[in-house]
Amino acid sequence: TLRLIYTTTAVQRKNVGASGPEKYTEAFIKKQIEEFNLGKRHLANMMGEDPETFTQEDIDRAIAYLFPSGLFDKQARPMMKHPTEVFPEQRKIQWGEDGRPFHFLFYTGKQAYYSLMHETYEKLLNVQKHQDQLMAEDLPLQKEKRNLAGSRWLTKIELEEMLLEKLSDDDYLRFIQLLKKLAALPCADIEEKYIQKFSREIPVQLQKVVIEPLQYDERGVAFSTGEGKRKTARATTVVYDNGTGKITVNGIDILHYFPVLQDREQLLFPFQFLGRIGKHDMVCTVSGGGRSAQAGAIRLASAKALRSFVTEKEVEFMRQAGLLTDDPRVKERKKPGQEGPRRKFTWKKR
Amino acid sequence: RVVPVRWSRYNPSYLEPEVKKESYQKPLEELTEEEREQMELKAVRPIKAAPPSLSSSVFSDPMISKFTNMMMKSGNKVLARSIMSQTLEAIKRKQLEKYHKAPENEKETIECSPYVIFHQALKNCQPIIGLSNITKGGKTYQVPVPLTDNRKRFLAMKWLITECRENKHRRTMMPEKLSQELLLAFNNEGPVIKKKHVLHKMAEANRAYAHFRWW
Repeated sequence: TLRLIYTTTAVQRKNVGASGPEKYTEAFIKKQIEEFNLGKRHLANMMGEDPETFTQEDIDRAIAYLFPSGLFDKQARPMMKHPTEVFPEQRKIQWGEDGRPFHFLFYTGKQAYYSLMHETYEKLLNVQKHQDQLMAEDLPLQKEKRNLAGSRWLTKIELEEMLLEKLSDDDYLRFIQLLKKLAALPCADIEEKYIQKFSREIPVQLQKVVIEPLQYDERGVAFSTGEGKRKTARATTVVYDNGTGKITVNGIDILHYFPVLQDREQLLFPFQFLGRIGKHDMVCTVSGGGRSAQAGAIRLASAKALRSFVTEKEVEFMRQAGLLTDDPRVKERKKPGQEGPRRKFTWKKR
Repeated sequence: RVVPVRWSRYNPSYLEPEVKKESYQKPLEELTEEEREQMELKAVRPIKAAPPSLSSSVFSDPMISKFTNMMMKSGNKVLARSIMSQTLEAIKRKQLEKYHKAPENEKETIECSPYVIFHQALKNCQPIIGLSNITKGGKTYQVPVPLTDNRKRFLAMKWLITECRENKHRRTMMPEKLSQELLLAFNNEGPVIKKKHVLHKMAEANRAYAHFRWW
């Protein structure tokens, strides 16, 4: 699981549901929005740009120019953003003047979550009823498989932002299980709109990395370059075509630079996977890191360089073999009060 | 429900890499439904980087690399790997000796490939059922419990290594002793197999407490 590094400001407070009197009224927010728009136009005039086409990026650049700040924390620097981003969305007061709450599930503590579960279950029962009706009339059930691979369910943070209420891991998992059950039923097409509210498209753009075309040097030999890194090692490689399979690292042959078999195996891995062992020559430069990190960096760099020599399908195979991803594993920092990243000090009874 | 405490640098949506070349050369028609779904999923999700001990060459075996990692002390992978290769060489030499000494009709039954011997020996050492300590009413009982595949493999490898480290003469080298143990385990003899049988007998003896298990 990912360690939670970023949450929206609204959900960071302990009990969002039982928030007391509103911190800022709607009228206040409206005034802030008007002031922001006015200020935006003034800023555009000051910078000499057109007030109509002044985007948020232009605002950020203008503020960074007018108020330069060397503070480390980005949140502490002067910023001018739309009030909806600055003031977190908060729930309106859940009870009327007589103190009686509006929602019937208020006293459960998590009214939005439970009402959502009730709604989803209602949809499930609807679908089951529809299914029974179709079965009674002996009509065929529609079974076009929803493309599960192209979409993902909402993450816990997104759901919390949607409901404006804090959820626990268990709650979130139960809700996702219920959604999956609903989506798996054959006649779930009726409630397609409802399910789409809770699913996001995975952008297939992840895989669309631009592959550089081959370059040709003076002798007419095709070559391509690649860069790779692993831990602290940085490597650049040039892979030449019509070669004998010679590999040179920092001007030294790999047999002398990498005495260990495992490192040489890693260097040859991309070539062996594509079946092009004796066909390419490679010249690489590498610096930083240790023995294994340098080997991993060269492996990544050579795999990236080989993409230009090879068909798209093979590039996809290389990606699925794990040759084209950056390894994010780095040395974990030592924490205060402990001897190492995980090892604690020896416990002494007295 | 068990929540993993350790975190990984990868996002949970990253999938494991598939290194073997053969799985990418299969034509589309041969795949089953599940495999088709797996393929579709792999096409959309990001994939973790392949670790340095894994490679697509014929010489890299996941079981052997796991065993090498377990033998490794203080991160000295070079030494562990050299011991492993010396062990496999020793097994091959012993088997070749036997092969050349054996009469004609028995030559086919003698297994020469060290990888086959290693895998078979590990399989023979794996226990089927394990014991776990369950405290009930103040007393701790040893309850027979089914084991997962990973746990079985881990126990087999752990027993082999501890056996080789402790019960040997001071002057014998690790590869020699390991090759001896592996050959004995391949023929279902030796102290590791005995340990496995002892565990099975204990589990059989404690059958009465099997109902203490709640998972």
